[in-house]
Amino acid sequence: MKRRTLIGALAAAIAFAAVPKRARANPKKIRPPGALPPGKFEQACIGCYRCAEVCPTKCIEFPSTFSLDQATPFIDTASRACVLCMKCTQACPTDALTRLAADADVVFQSVKMGVPKLTRSKCLPWNGTGVCRLCYLVCPYPDKAVELVGPQKAPLFHESACVGCGLCEEACPELAQAIVIEPLGSA
Amino acid sequence: MAPRRPLQPLDLTLRHGRWYQRTRVAFLTFSVALTFVLPLWHLHSLDVAGAGFAQDSAWFRLGRAFPDQPPPFVGAPTSISVFGLELVDPLLAGGVALVHGVSWKWVWTVLPGVVLVLLLGRFFCGWACPYLPILAASNVARWFLTGLGFKLLDVPVPRAAARVALVGVLIVTALTGAQVLPLVYPPALIGREVFHAVFYGSLGLGALVVLGAFLFDTFVSRAGFCRSLCPGGAMFSVMSGLSPLRVVREKSKCTDCTVCDVVCNLGQKPMTDKLDTGCERCGKCIASCPTKALSFRVAKPALFRAPEEKP
Repeated sequence: MKRRTLIGALAAAIAFAAVPKRARANPKKIRPPGALPPGKFEQACIGCYRCAEVCPTKCIEFPSTFSLDQATPFIDTASRACVLCMKCTQACPTDALTRLAADADVVFQSVKMGVPKLTRSKCLPWNGTGVCRLCYLVCPYPDKAVELVGPQKAPLFHESACVGCGLCEEACPELAQAIVIEPLGSA
Repeated sequence: MAPRRPLQPLDLTLRHGRWYQRTRVAFLTFSVALTFVLPLWHLHSLDVAGAGFAQDSAWFRLGRAFPDQPPPFVGAPTSISVFGLELVDPLLAGGVALVHGVSWKWVWTVLPGVVLVLLLGRFFCGWACPYLPILAASNVARWFLTGLGFKLLDVPVPRAAARVALVGVLIVTALTGAQVLPLVYPPALIGREVFHAVFYGSLGLGALVVLGAFLFDTFVSRAGFCRSLCPGGAMFSVMSGLSPLRVVREKSKCTDCTVCDVVCNLGQKPMTDKLDTGCERCGKCIASCPTKALSFRVAKPALFRAPEEKP
């Protein structure tokens, strides 16, 4: 028993010494709101799927392939966007998602799920083929995250003010797909 | 004359200790039902809310038993929220502690489980694990195939293999800094795969691990996965060294009939007092004993017993 204890303690010590500061598996994915920064999130999530179970839009998904992040939730904003209800953050048992109140100001301050990237050549108002404005209409923070500029009322996105919920990406017409939310890279 | 078929666990009847067995089976059924019913219930309530049913309709009330509150049960036995009480499997919490660190919330979520395991030993395996129906199916398959005359393997995998698996998984967790346990630990896997199937209509590849465990248990070693591969079982076994609850045999009543040894899934041998920390407190040996020679007693925890007292 004593030798076993010693071996166990040694293994634990080696393991603790070898822990990297951030998870090595660090895929670029859009995480649910309130998630810890990339690399930290994968360390704290135990894949219990409670966040996805309470998500009203069922936008939180789990990958079905063999990979180190198979047990971590992600959001595919192109198919279904987050409505920022913050229920998932209240369900998380390990604080991989920081608990947040469903308050417009709190969400604006604390949530950063991704970065908006607009391809102007595809955007209808920008390339002069239409008067669309869908992204502006669905944006939870209009005039802060996206404003309409010029005679064509073309959308102009402000990265710093965008929470990355992806409602604009979901709303953007199939033929255009001009606005895409890009996942945060590891800092 | 054909040789006699070896005694199988399903050949045995549970004679007494019925209240214990009923409580255990009821608890187990509830736990397994949670795993399967909760995703269905939550999917239903989301659909009801999304479809805009009138708030006084029966469908709406069925979907939301407690309107304007979070659902009373969320999750599966490895990580569940019961009326606001958060419970997380000590093993998964251990993985988080290893690579992410601990907080007060971590302590509160893991504490109930740790206290229960220290008191009752490896009881999760016999009372709540969602793998148990699959293990039962594997036992039925073994019983059926043996009845047909097949000779099934029962490789005695050393129990220490589970500890090696546990330490190995923890080392891989530490090296990658990602949570590996949810990918290989069947109770967590089964919950997530059931959820995956209900919500997205597909299975993740983690289901293959569960299938592999079933095939291993059926064709290689009876309950071999639980006994000597499951990292959760290994961890509960280690913690079980402090548990004071123990199956004790009255030598004068015992007739050496081997029934208790055969009925045990985890290879304990109550008939010769060879019980170690791997006992899952299912009580089937007690219930199957024809002469009531076995019973639960409060005894000195295995960790404090002198080596010569140990089996």
